[in-house]
Amino acid sequence: MSDLTLSRRQFFKMSAAASGGLVLASGISACMTQTHSSGNEDLWKANAWVTLHPDGRIEFVLDRVEMGQGTLTGLTTLLAEEMDVKPELIEIKFAPADPTYRNPDYGLQITGGSNSLSSSWEQIRESGAVIRTVMKQAASRVWKVEPSECVTSDSQVMHPPTNQALKYSDLYKLAINERIPNDIELKDPSEFKLIGKHNQRLDAPLKSTGAANFGIDTQIEGMAYAVVARSPVIGGKVKHFDPSSVMAMTGVKQVVQITSGVAVVAEQYWQARKALNALAIEWNEGQNASLSTDRVFELYKKAADDDEGDKRRDDGDIDEALATAAKIVDVEYQAPFLAHATMEPQNCVAHVQEDRCDVWAPTQGPDVAQVAVAKVTDLSLDQIFIHTTFIGGGFGRRLTQDFTAEAAEISAKTKLPIKLIWSREDDTKHDLYRPASYHRLKAGLSKDGQLIGWQHQIVCSKILSWYVWDAAPAQFPWAPKFMYNTLANVGLAGEGVVAPEDHSPFEGADSYPYSVANIDVRYTHADAGVPVTYWRSVGHSQNAFVVEGFMNEMAHAAEQDPYTFKRALLKDIPQALAVLDQVAKSANWGNPKAGRHQGLAIHKSFGTWVAQVVEVSLNGNQYQVEKVYCVVDCGLAVNPDVVHSQMESGVVFALTAAKYGQIDIEDGKVRQSNFHDYQMLRMNECPEIIVDIIPSANAPTGVGEPGVPPLAPALADALFSATGQRLRSLPLTLN
Amino acid sequence: MIEFRVNGNVQQVDVEGDTPLLWVLRDVIALTGTKFGCGMGLCGACTVQLNGQPIRACITPVSAITGQEITTIEGLGSIKDIHPVQQAWIDENVPQCGYCQSGQIMSASALLAQNPNPSDDEIKQYMSGNICRCGTYPRIQKAIKRAAKSLQTTGFAVHIQESNFDLATEVQS
Repeated sequence: MSDLTLSRRQFFKMSAAASGGLVLASGISACMTQTHSSGNEDLWKANAWVTLHPDGRIEFVLDRVEMGQGTLTGLTTLLAEEMDVKPELIEIKFAPADPTYRNPDYGLQITGGSNSLSSSWEQIRESGAVIRTVMKQAASRVWKVEPSECVTSDSQVMHPPTNQALKYSDLYKLAINERIPNDIELKDPSEFKLIGKHNQRLDAPLKSTGAANFGIDTQIEGMAYAVVARSPVIGGKVKHFDPSSVMAMTGVKQVVQITSGVAVVAEQYWQARKALNALAIEWNEGQNASLSTDRVFELYKKAADDDEGDKRRDDGDIDEALATAAKIVDVEYQAPFLAHATMEPQNCVAHVQEDRCDVWAPTQGPDVAQVAVAKVTDLSLDQIFIHTTFIGGGFGRRLTQDFTAEAAEISAKTKLPIKLIWSREDDTKHDLYRPASYHRLKAGLSKDGQLIGWQHQIVCSKILSWYVWDAAPAQFPWAPKFMYNTLANVGLAGEGVVAPEDHSPFEGADSYPYSVANIDVRYTHADAGVPVTYWRSVGHSQNAFVVEGFMNEMAHAAEQDPYTFKRALLKDIPQALAVLDQVAKSANWGNPKAGRHQGLAIHKSFGTWVAQVVEVSLNGNQYQVEKVYCVVDCGLAVNPDVVHSQMESGVVFALTAAKYGQIDIEDGKVRQSNFHDYQMLRMNECPEIIVDIIPSANAPTGVGEPGVPPLAPALADALFSATGQRLRSLPLTLN
Repeated sequence: MIEFRVNGNVQQVDVEGDTPLLWVLRDVIALTGTKFGCGMGLCGACTVQLNGQPIRACITPVSAITGQEITTIEGLGSIKDIHPVQQAWIDENVPQCGYCQSGQIMSASALLAQNPNPSDDEIKQYMSGNICRCGTYPRIQKAIKRAAKSLQTTGFAVHIQESNFDLATEVQS
C-alpha cells in the first residue's frame, strides 16, 4: 500500500460529455488501486473527474468529504489554478464509493489524517494542467501559431502577438482530439494566481443561507423515520421487549429488533422518538456490567506492571543514563475517553431494495460504509450505492459506519426507505471514543541540568482492533462476504506486515523530537472493552499532552525557562526552531501582561509543526484562557485563511477537551449524555487567537488536526506558572 | 390542524401539539436549514425567530406558536437575496462544517435587531447560547461587527423586525 505514494502514475483520457462538453477522466493503474475489473481492454479504471460544459460551467468530482476542514475549497483551488479558471465556476460533485477515489495513503476511500491536500497536491494540479495544455494546443492549431506563444487566463486561451482569444468552451470539440503530453508541465509557483492567495471559502454562501444539504437533510420518496434504543451497558444485547404497547401510538409503522438494539419506525421523527421512550426493553447486560473508569485505569496500571511493552524507540542506554543522573523525575500522566460530539448527530438514509441499496450518509468512509451495509443485507458491494453529503463535523467519528449499518438493517427488515436519526444522548452514550491512556515517565538530568535520559511507557487500547472489521474488507472489495472476518483477523494478526501498523497508541511519543542521547519509549497494549476510534489528531491528542507536559516539567526541574530549554534540544530541526522562535516572539514570551500567566508547547503531527503559547488569568480556582498564540509551518498554505481558521478551530477543539472533556463509565454505562454534562467551549469562554503561518515553498502538509495537540500541555504549564499546581491528568481542573 | 406563519407564508400542519417546532419545520414543511443538535435547548443549532425573538425550536411545542410568525434562516435571506448578516458570514469565512451556522445567524440577526451596535462583551454574552464545535467563535465575533456596520448604513435590521411584528399582529387579530 505504501508503494502507491512512491510510484503513483496518473493516466488521463478525454471524451465528449453528453452536454456537448468535454470530460477529463483520470486514474491510476488498476494493479495499484486493486480494482476488481482487473486487466481487460483498459489498463486503468477511470472515473469522470472534471466535466466542462458548453455554458462554461465546470463539474469537479471531489473525492474527499467536506466536514469543515476546507478541503472543498482547497482541492478546487488546485484545479482552478492549473486550469486558469475562476474557482467560483467550479461546481462540486461529491464522489460515490469507488476504488478510483481511494485515499492513496491508506488504500481506502476515507477522509482523515489531514492528508487531503498533501495526497492530491500533484494529482489534481496535473488534471488542471492537462486541460490548460490541450486548450492551448487546440487554440494554437486554429490560429496556426506555436502553443508556447499562447497564454491562458479566466477560461480563455489568448495569443498576445496577434491579440486573439478563444474561450475554452469554444475549443472543446477540437481539444478532445488533442494528444495529452506524457510530461504534464505544472505551473511554476511564481505563476500562481490562486494557490497561496485564494481566501474565499467556496461553501460559505451555501452554509450561510441554510442551503447546504447535510446527511440529516436528505429527503427521499416514501421515507419513514427510525430511532434506535441501544443497550445502556456497553456491549449488552436485547433480552425482551413488547412492541404491542406502542404499535397503536400515532404514526408508528413498525418496531423491529436489529443487531444493535430495537428500532421504532414511524411517519415522523417525533412520533418514533415518543414511541421509543414509551417502549420497555429488558437487556442482557453482558460482561461489561461492572465496568467503570476506575477499573479501566486499574487495568492499565496492572498492564504497565506486568508487561514492559514493545519498544517503539530505543536510543542509547536508558538504564545507564538514569543510573548516572544527578536528578530523576518520575511521574504518571493520564488522559480520559472523549466523545466526538459532532454538531450533526449520527444519521443515515438507507433504501434497501431487492437488487440494490442506496445510502445517503454524512460519512468519512464511503467504501467502508459499503461493507457495513453488505454485512446486514444480502447485497454485494457493487449493488450498494453510497451518496455522500456535506458533513456537520467529523473529527474521526464518521470513519466508523455503525450508523450506516443500522439504517440499512432497519430498511432491509421493514422494507421501507428509512431515515435514521440519533439523538444527542445516543450520540454521546454510544460513540466510539478517543482511547483513554495511562503513562509512566521518568527522565534524568545531569549535574549541569542537561536532559540525559527520557523514558515513556504508554498503556492504551488500539484503534485498529475496533476499526479493522469493516475496513479490512473494504480494502479487498472482490472478496466474498464469508471472508470478511478472516480478512479482519488476518489484518490484526499481520499488523505491520500484511496490514498497516496501528500507530495511534504511540504516535507523537515515539517521534520524540528532542536531542537526548538516551530515549526509551514503549507501548503496552491493554483494552478494557470500551469502543474506540479516531479522534481529531488521534494519538497526538494525548501524547503531546504527556510529552510536552513532561518536557515542561523537566525544564522547571532543571531550573530553566521551557522555551530556552526546548530550544537548545531542537537546534538540529530548523523547521521546529523557526516555529518555536516565532511563537515566543509573537507572544512576547516571558513578559506576560499583569495578571496573566504563560505556557508553551510545540508538536509535530501530520507533517506540520505547530507551537502555541497560552495565556491564562485566574479567578480563585477558576481559570480563563485569555489568548492563544499559534504558529504553524504547514508547507505552502494553499488557502491561507483556511489554515488560519483550522488553527483557530484546533485551539477551540483542544481547549474544550482540556477544560471539560471527559467520558466516564459507571456500571458499564457512559455517564454523560448531552451538552449539559459533556460541555463544549462557548463563545464567552473563547480566547483571542493569534495565528502566524511560516512562509514556505514546500509541498503542503496537514492543517485539520495539527492545531489540536500543543494546546493542552501549553495550558497545563500556564496553570503551573499561575498556581504551582502541576496537573498531569486531563481535563485540567485546579484544586 | 395548527396554523402559523413561516417566513410570511401561512402554514397549516396536522401534527400532535407537543411536536417540537423543529421537526415540523424540517419534516413537515421541508425547511431543513434549521438544524437538530441537542433536543434540550442547549446548543442553539435550531434557533429560529418568533416575532423577531430568538427561540429554540427543539423545545418549543408547535401548539405554542399557533397564530404566530416564525422566521427561519431561509426567510432571513437566500443566496440570491442575501441578508447583511449572511453576507458578513461569507465575507469573514465564518462557516467550517456549517451545521450550527443557521442557528448562529438567527441569534446574531436577532441581537442586531435589538442592539444595532453591540460591544464585544455584549456579543459574547448574547451568542454564548449557540455552540460551534468547529470553533468559529472569533469569526462570528468579527462577522457580527461587520454586519452591524453594514446594517447601520442600510437600516435593514429595523426593517426586518418591524415587518415580522406587523405580520404577527395580523395573524393574531
